[in-house]
Parts: sequence; C-alpha cells; structure tokens
Amino acid sequence: MKTHNVQVGDVSRELPIVEVAPGVNVALFNMLGDTEVTEAAGKALARLLPGDIDVLVTPEVKALSLAHVISRETGKPYIVIRKTQKPYMVDPVAREVVSITTGIPQLLVLDGFDVPKVKGRRVAIVDDVVSSGGTLHSLRQIIDEVGGEVAAVLAVFTEGEERSEVTALGHLPLFPGS
Amino acid sequence: MTQARPEVTVKIGGVTRILPSARAGSMGRVPLVEFIGDSEFTKAVAEEMLVMIPGGTEVLLTVVTNALPLAHELSHLSGLPYECVRKKRRPYMQDPIIQDAPSMTLGVAETFWLDSPHAARLKGKKVAIVQDVISSGGTAQTLARIAERAGGTVTGYLAAFRQGESALSLPFKYLEKLPAHI
Repeated sequence: MKTHNVQVGDVSRELPIVEVAPGVNVALFNMLGDTEVTEAAGKALARLLPGDIDVLVTPEVKALSLAHVISRETGKPYIVIRKTQKPYMVDPVAREVVSITTGIPQLLVLDGFDVPKVKGRRVAIVDDVVSSGGTLHSLRQIIDEVGGEVAAVLAVFTEGEERSEVTALGHLPLFPGS
Repeated sequence: MTQARPEVTVKIGGVTRILPSARAGSMGRVPLVEFIGDSEFTKAVAEEMLVMIPGGTEVLLTVVTNALPLAHELSHLSGLPYECVRKKRRPYMQDPIIQDAPSMTLGVAETFWLDSPHAARLKGKKVAIVQDVISSGGTAQTLARIAERAGGTVTGYLAAFRQGESALSLPFKYLEKLPAHI
C-alpha cells in the first residue's frame, strides 16, 4: 500500500493513500485510536489558539478527541456538532454538506441546548482535516445563524489547496488516480 | 415560578456536575452523562477509572460517541492504545467487522462497524471494554463480540456509570450508580 509521511509535533506517521471516489486519492488521516498524535496535535494547536476565543466548535466524530485535548489544555469549553439529529435535541439547527471523505451528503446538527454557548461568542472551529471546505462552510453558516462569530479555524492539516484562513500544523496533497 | 425538577448530582475526583435529563416516553426523565464538551469532568472520571483497568490489558475498546473523549483520556493516562467502533459505514472501510447491536439509547437498534486495520490491532491482544454508561449491557456484549471476532480476549468491562439493572451477568466495574429515571 502506498503511504504518505506526515509529522505532527515530534510524532511521525505513515498515512495510507486510499481512493475515496473514482480518481480521488487521499492520504487518510484518522486520529481515532491514535492517542499520541491526538495529544501532540491538540497541544500544538492549543498554543496557536488566539487568547480571546470563548468556545471551540467541532464536527463529530474524528476531531472530537482533538477538541477535548485543546479544551483540556486551554480551559476553553467545546461544543460538538452532530451528524444525526437526536431525539433529545431541543430546536436543533441543521445544514447539509457533501464531504470529500464520505462522498455522500450528510447532515450537521447543532443542538438548540448549545445555542446560548455560541450566540454572541467568539468561536474557533476545530477539525482534523480541512479539504474541500464544504464542512467548514456549513459550520460557518450554522454558527452565523445562531449569532456566533467565527474568529479562528484550527485544523491538523489542510488538504488539496492551502487555505490562509486556516491555522494548520501541516498540509496534505491530493494524489492522482492510479 | 418555575417548578423545580428533581436533579441528579455526581461528584467524581473533586469535580461536581448536575446531570441534565431527557424526557423518555412514559418513564419520566432519564439523567444523561455528557463527556462531550466537558474536558474537566472527562479527565477527572478517567483518573478515577485508571485503577479499574484489569491487569494485563493491552488495548481499550470503545464505541462512538459520548465515550470517545473518555477513552482518549484513559488511553493517555494509562499509556494503553484504544480502538473505537463506529456506528456508520465509512466509504474507506475495507472488510470491516460488522456486528448488529441490540436496542440501545432510546430504543433504536444499531449496527457497529470496525474497519480491518483497526480490528488487526486487537488480534491476539487482551482487550478491556470501555463505556460511559452501562445500562442493559447490550452495547458491552456487542463490543466484546467484536473484540473476539477480531481475535482478541476480553479482560473486563469498565464504565464510568451504571444506570438501571442489567439482565446480563457481565463482570462490570463502574464508579457510581445512576437512577434509571427521575
């Protein structure tokens, strides 16, 4: 299997290159179950978090542990935007997005219970990889809609094109089809 | 005047939380434990759960989503790796282990997925099952079945809380018991 080497702080990983859609190959970065990478990335991003941020917002599920570590290190609370609407949610705010790693439209849902934690606050979006920007765009829409201000975007990697608005620890290229 | 609702308060390792609750049909309200969004509580609970990890355990196994930050913190504190079972198929999965789970949160049956590269890390290993809350034991049993199908041996079952009674006689360890409804 072809791999792509990445460095996160002082941790190194060989990412498998996988086809996620016909002709679209990506280096698959999955922090789930990788405590060492999550800790290294979370501590590095915690140092880059602007001091005036009130709350972190992250989409479930792969970046969840990352947001936990940044929160633990900085003392800032975090909120998770879910991918399914739960029966216990109160007045949920939902947006649909097409993600590059799933290829299918998916839902992003903010529980109405969490709205007061975002409204009028300075928000940092936290994600593992910002690629097409589709998830990021939908997250911005939801945060805007409930009256929050997106003041920073933090990710472990950008992918495909570099993005000046994203504070990232590294960049992943896309790989041509084999 | 708002009517006071009955509340459940938990105190773990010096961190106190009043638990939110959700209406659950005719049973009244069910207290909910939230690790997502609460890194302080997560860390305190993980510190208390460290001693519950059975000796010889080589890897922790959990399932998305609420137990995930807890499993991460337990892994970080213990130095043991963890694997996380998903509840949805992802397009990049190759030859995943697929296991149906019995009726779970709010009575919805689910299917659990573990991609083969993750399953490979359980093979021949002693595995401890980690959960946020154990109630019926159905999730614990499903995770154990996945660990066994991956070639691992289950050393024990850990949860932060136990809620209600289980019909299964699994050897659970937990920090505190919560009422099933209030």
